[in-house]
Amino acid sequence: MERKIRVVMAKLGLDIHWRGVYLVSQFLKDAGMEVIYLGNKFPEQIVEAAIEEDADVVGLSTLGGNHLTLGPKVVNLLKKKGMDKIKVFMGGVIPPKHIPLLKKKGIYEIYGPDTPMEVIIKGISDSVSVN
Amino acid sequence: MSEEAKNAKCLFSEEHVRLIKENYDDWFKNCLRDDDRAMEGKYFTHSGIPVKLIYTPADTEDIHYMKDLGFSGKPPYVRGVYANMYRGRLFTVRQLAGLGAPEDCNKRVKYLLDHGATGVSILFDLPTIRGYNSDDPEAEGNVGQCGAAVDSIWDIDAYFADIDLGTVSTSIVTHLPSTSLVIPGMYFAVAEQRGTPITKLAGTCQNDFIMETCVGSAPEILPPSVSFRMQCDVVEWICKNVPRWNPISFNGYNLREAGTNAITEVGIAVANAIATAEELIKRGMKFDDFAPRMSFFWDLHNDFFEEIAKCRASRKVWYKIAKERFGAKNERSLLMRFHVQTAGVTLPSTEPLNNIGRSAIQGLAAVFGGCQSLHLDSYDEAYSAPTEEAALVSLRMQQIIQTETGVVNTVDPLAGSYYLEYLTEEMTKRIFAYVENIEAMGGLVSAVESGWLHREISNYNNKYQKDIETGAMKVVGVNFMKSEDANITPIEVFEYPETYRRQKAKLKRLRKERNNQKVKECMKILREKCHSKENLLPYCTDAVKNLVTHGEIAELFREEFGLWPFPLIS
Repeated sequence: MERKIRVVMAKLGLDIHWRGVYLVSQFLKDAGMEVIYLGNKFPEQIVEAAIEEDADVVGLSTLGGNHLTLGPKVVNLLKKKGMDKIKVFMGGVIPPKHIPLLKKKGIYEIYGPDTPMEVIIKGISDSVSVN
Repeated sequence: MSEEAKNAKCLFSEEHVRLIKENYDDWFKNCLRDDDRAMEGKYFTHSGIPVKLIYTPADTEDIHYMKDLGFSGKPPYVRGVYANMYRGRLFTVRQLAGLGAPEDCNKRVKYLLDHGATGVSILFDLPTIRGYNSDDPEAEGNVGQCGAAVDSIWDIDAYFADIDLGTVSTSIVTHLPSTSLVIPGMYFAVAEQRGTPITKLAGTCQNDFIMETCVGSAPEILPPSVSFRMQCDVVEWICKNVPRWNPISFNGYNLREAGTNAITEVGIAVANAIATAEELIKRGMKFDDFAPRMSFFWDLHNDFFEEIAKCRASRKVWYKIAKERFGAKNERSLLMRFHVQTAGVTLPSTEPLNNIGRSAIQGLAAVFGGCQSLHLDSYDEAYSAPTEEAALVSLRMQQIIQTETGVVNTVDPLAGSYYLEYLTEEMTKRIFAYVENIEAMGGLVSAVESGWLHREISNYNNKYQKDIETGAMKVVGVNFMKSEDANITPIEVFEYPETYRRQKAKLKRLRKERNNQKVKECMKILREKCHSKENLLPYCTDAVKNLVTHGEIAELFREEFGLWPFPLIS
C-alpha cells in the first residue's frame, strides 16, 4: 500500500485567522493525505512536530504579516536538523512582492488567497514525488 | 377605531389578497415558461431562505404594519432606532486606523479626521491583541503588522497626541475581554491626565469573549468562562463609571468572517448579550443600568436584500428580548444600535479594483439597513492593512453615499418591498429559533467550551469552499469571468519595519524610569484579585498608570487562570 503523504499544518505564531488553514487541512485529508493540524505554534515547535510526525510537508498559514520573519525561520531550523527534505509551503495574506523573497529563502511554494484547492493538493502531491 | 379594525390584517384587504393570489396562479401557469416553473424552489438566500421569482402583497398578508413594522424610533424598531434617523444624525464615518508604532497611527488618525471622518477606530497588532509586549519572543515578526503596537500607557498617549479626547468618539478594537481590561483603562487614564473627565469620553471597546476563544486562534488562550467573566467586569465597571462609553460590541462581524451565515451571526451575538445580561443581573445590576450601552457589530456580506433584512430583523429581535424577557423600562434599553463593517472575506486578491464596487454596494446595503456607524473595507483587503490611498477611497465612498445619493433623506426607504418584508419576518423567526437552540445547550459559554461553535464554523466553511470550487457560488474574476491576462494592479503594501526597534527602545526606557517596587505591588494585588469575585478593571488601570505593561498583565492572567486548549486541533 502506498504510503500516505504526511502533512503538518500550523498557524504561524500569533496569527489568529484559522478559517483557511483548517479548511485546507480538511481538503488535504479528503484527498487522501495524513494531516496533523497543530494550531498556533512557533517555528521551533513546528519543526519539532514535523520531525516527530515524520512529515513530508509543512504547511504554514499566516495573515498577520509575520511571513518574512518566521517563515524562513522554519526552513532554517529544518535545515539545521538535517531535515530540509521536508518541503515548506505557505498560505495566507502574503504580498506578491514578498513571494520571490520567500522562495529564495527556501519556501517551496506560496498559495495566496483564492487559490483553488485542487492546485494546492496537486502542488503538495507533486512536491513529494520529486524526492 | 374598533379593536377589530385595529387588529385586522390591513396592509391589503382580504378580498384584494385573494384577487392577487388568483392572478398569481394565472401568471405562474400561463406567463412563465416550463423551465421558469421548474426552477421555482431552487433559489435561496445565502443563509438558505427560499427566494421566489416574484413577491406580492400575498406574501406579506400576515404583516400588521403598526405591530410588525411601526415607525422609526418606536417599537418594534424595524424601521430604525431613532425617529429622525439620518436626518438627525448621519451614520458615523468610522474607518479603521492602525499600523506600525502609535506615532505612525497618530498620523493616520489625523489624516482621516482631516478628510472628514467623524469617528476614530483604532486597531492593534497581534501581539497587542493577544497580550504580548513588542519585545516578547512570541511577538517576533508581528510587531506593528496589521495594527498598532501598544505596550504601555505611553503608547496610547502617543496614539492620540494632539487629539482632544473630549470631542472624538473612539472605537478601541480590543477584540478580547482580557485586552479590554487593560487598554480602555489606559485611554481613560490618559484623558484624566490631560484634564478631561472620563464622564465626557465617548467611544466603544469590542470586549467579546468569542473573539478570545473561538473566532481567533492563538498559542495561549484563556478559558471561555474566564474570558466571559472579564467581559462582564468590563461592562459592569464602564457602565458605572463612563456613562457615554459602549463597553461591548457584540459580534457579529468577526464571527461571520470566521465562517457563519447571517442567521448565526446575529443569533450568537444575541445569545452573548443574553448571557451577559443574566450575569450582570446576578451581580446586582438592573437591566436598564447596562442595556442602553450594549452595542452590536454586524458584517455586511454579498446577498444584498438578505443583509438589509438582517439589520432590520436584528432590531426587532433585540426589542422583543429586552422588553419581554428582561422587562426593560428604559426606552434606550430596547434599541439595537450597531456598527457595520463590510465583508472583508468577499474581497478577493484578483482584480482588486473590483473590490471598490463590492464595498460600495455592501456599504449602501448597510445604510438601507439603518446602521449607526460604518467602515468600508478597502480594495487592498487581501494584501495588507489599507494604504492611505485605499483608505481614502473608502472614506470618499461613504461620503458619496451620504451626500450624493439621497438615500439618507428618508427613513428605511425600502420598507414595504414585499421581498424585503418577507425576508425580514423570516429572518426574525430563524434568529429566534437559533437563540433558543443555544439556550437549550446551556447558553453560549457552554456552546463555546464544548467546541460546538468551532465545528459549526468549520462545517460552514467546508460547504462555502465546495460551492466556490464547483462554481455554485460565483466570484467574479476568481471562478467566474476569470481573466488569464488580467492586469495585475500594483498594490502598495503598507509596512512599518521600524516599529519593533522603536517599541523595544521605548520598553527599555520605560522599565528604567518606572518605580519597579510599585509595579511589583500592583501585580501582587492584581494576582490576588484574579481569584476573588471583584471587578478586575480598576486594578488593571492602577497597574498601567504605574507603567506596568500590557504584556505583563496578560502574562499574569495566563499564569493565574491557566490555558484552554483550542478545539479542532489534532
